[in-house]
Amino acid sequence: MKHVTKLAIAAVVAGFTASAAMAQELYTPNLSYRTGPFAATGIPLMNGQADYMTMLNARDGGIGGVMVNFDECETGYSTEKGAECYEKTKDKALVTQPWSTGITLQVLPKTNIDEIPILAPGYGFSPMMDGKTFQWAFNTPAGYWDAADMIVQYLEGMESLDGKKIAFLHLDHPYGKEPIPLFEQMAADKGFDLVPIPVGLKEMQNQSAQWLQIRRERPDYVVMWGWGAMNAGAITEAVKTKFPMENMLGVWWAGHDADLRIVGEDGKGYKSISWSFPNPDAPVMADIKTHVVDTGKTQSNAEEMSGVFYSRGIIISAILAEGIRVAQEHTGNAEITAADLRWGLENIDMTEERIAELGLDGMVPPFKTSCSDHTGKSGGWMLEWDGEKFVKVSDHLTPNTDAYTDLVAAKAKEYADANAPWPVNEDCGM
Amino acid sequence: MLYRTAGQFKTSYKADQALFPIRQDAILLGLILAFAWVILPLTASEFVFQTLMIPILIYALAAMGLNILTGYAGQLSLGTAAFMGVGAYACYKMVTLMPWMNPILAILLSGVFSAGVGVAFGIPSLRIKGFYLAIATLAAQFFLVWLFEKWAWLYNYNASGAIQVPNLDIFGIYVAGPQASSVTQYFVVLGIVSLLTLLCINLTRGNLGRTWKATRDMDIAAELIGINLMKSKLTAFAVSSYVVGVSGALFVFMWRGAAEPNLFDIPLSFRILFIAIIGGLGSILGNYLGAILIVGLPVVLGTLPAALGIPVSSAMVEHLNIMIVGSLIIFFLIIEPHGLARLWALIREKLILWPFPH
Repeated sequence: MKHVTKLAIAAVVAGFTASAAMAQELYTPNLSYRTGPFAATGIPLMNGQADYMTMLNARDGGIGGVMVNFDECETGYSTEKGAECYEKTKDKALVTQPWSTGITLQVLPKTNIDEIPILAPGYGFSPMMDGKTFQWAFNTPAGYWDAADMIVQYLEGMESLDGKKIAFLHLDHPYGKEPIPLFEQMAADKGFDLVPIPVGLKEMQNQSAQWLQIRRERPDYVVMWGWGAMNAGAITEAVKTKFPMENMLGVWWAGHDADLRIVGEDGKGYKSISWSFPNPDAPVMADIKTHVVDTGKTQSNAEEMSGVFYSRGIIISAILAEGIRVAQEHTGNAEITAADLRWGLENIDMTEERIAELGLDGMVPPFKTSCSDHTGKSGGWMLEWDGEKFVKVSDHLTPNTDAYTDLVAAKAKEYADANAPWPVNEDCGM
Repeated sequence: MLYRTAGQFKTSYKADQALFPIRQDAILLGLILAFAWVILPLTASEFVFQTLMIPILIYALAAMGLNILTGYAGQLSLGTAAFMGVGAYACYKMVTLMPWMNPILAILLSGVFSAGVGVAFGIPSLRIKGFYLAIATLAAQFFLVWLFEKWAWLYNYNASGAIQVPNLDIFGIYVAGPQASSVTQYFVVLGIVSLLTLLCINLTRGNLGRTWKATRDMDIAAELIGINLMKSKLTAFAVSSYVVGVSGALFVFMWRGAAEPNLFDIPLSFRILFIAIIGGLGSILGNYLGAILIVGLPVVLGTLPAALGIPVSSAMVEHLNIMIVGSLIIFFLIIEPHGLARLWALIREKLILWPFPH
């Protein structure tokens, strides 16, 4: 035991001294998962994130003249490894990108003590949008409750939901349960019938029982909150039971090209709400091609790069880079601290012009964060599988957040009380 | 030379039956304890506490609980993780229902609940044996995890279905929750683990331990010499589940900080079973050695390439890690099928005889 711990201490000490000797850099570690059961969905996201940062380093020499060290720490989507990675990186990290609801839940309470911002774009705990309570956590540009609201809005755009039945097929896990409080509230308001159907982690690949229930219940719509193997399982099962695909909608994590390519034409009509969209003609893609792909620095391939998840990875890195840039301009210092980055992430203003400047045309809707709003209400688009790829089928949808600000405040307060003493941002006057 | 036993005379039965009949064992353990209690807290970083020391100690405790049941009493169990879950949820309910309660007391009491559940699931062991019993404990594994998911009262009707450790303090010092410092948590874990280890060593050396071993080696023979099999098996289930339950409470309260039901699913049970088997069934020391190999080694290996400045991607490190740890497990099982504890016992024996082997 002595020997092992000594070795570990030596290793850690050596690691720290080696990094301290390095030149100035922006250290933005990513808790990636390129191994394990969720790797298929993780790899395109991680590649998109890494490629954007590599491109910035190659094209602009980093951000504000400082190179970005976009290190990856492999978690395999395991919470245990995630916590290990967090401990490993937190001493000099500007940001934590936890990449799983489990790791986010684990890291979230520590952020007030360690004072490192968590960037969880489009995942994590929905009440994180309350920036006053969750000073250090960001689920920019949209949270799960925004997704739930937009899906219901989209359905209402076609017909009244009064008296309709919506089956909510979800992973029986904190992630899948996240939108239930909001769906329940909306079901009461709009008069539709909500049937929650959980899919256990062990049943992801074999959902015959769930689809039997769906056939029995005859819902008008199936809304899916799935991840990893569950999505492919549900989509193939839906095709098998001949459920009308145009009445099946998913959250953004249930819109992975590879899951639908399995069923191809049969999956036509399946929809997924999304705050990102692949645009192969966007200038940023050309820059990535010249600076990253052509120089052989990417781990990705052409097919993956045209997908929804790769482009989402790019957007996530772009949000982070924008936060860093805002912080640099605010402090006048190129080498920012984690606290500066928090200010930066709180003051992102992604206008249409700024999106065009960054070369992200059509890839992300405009949004604006503030100290009280850590989400930014980007809204999103409804994407539809046309048999080969996802296409936009709606205008820019924006969530009606006023309808659930009370719910957010109540849940945020509940969290703060359960974790008392929980410091909140008193300076935020908004 | 180092382990010379010459001159250590025992003049009474009491001295002969002492915990350390050989003085060098006591010195070695004293050194390890001094290192764990004094030197490490003064020198180690938070990373070492959070990713090496605390998990190794907690996993070793869980494996020790399993080892009492499987290694000493011979009842194979595949439900360890579920019993850990019972301890964790019991502790969570106690500290949220009674916030004034001393958290260390709550952790120690939470084992009582898992002991109760353990005895209930141990009743089939009176009629069924071996692999069939393993299946029965597997039922406990699936049923309890299902219960953690469905019984919303257990997680205080939290929307996410997960339990989150609140900030708990003893006399103003935070021992659990995000406000607690790693060193404090380390001391709490070390204290409880040391206490329960001492308890387990003495239980297994004593009368109860002997009835367990007799049951393990041949239950009919044990019954013939007058051992009450029901008592022997159920006490094994009770003590084992108590230790496992405490380790589960420590697992969530002193280390993870949050837990969802599927954390206590079968992969965790297997992990603990591997620690017990590789460390050595029927030994106390083995649990620590096994935990170091299975829990600690991957962490150390993962930091090596970065520390040595070798540029490999983190995914590659992970793949290499799995391969290296896997082959080490096979290697150790080939050179010593009875586990690392037996390996140490052989080394110690050789050291005692050295330099005149016979």
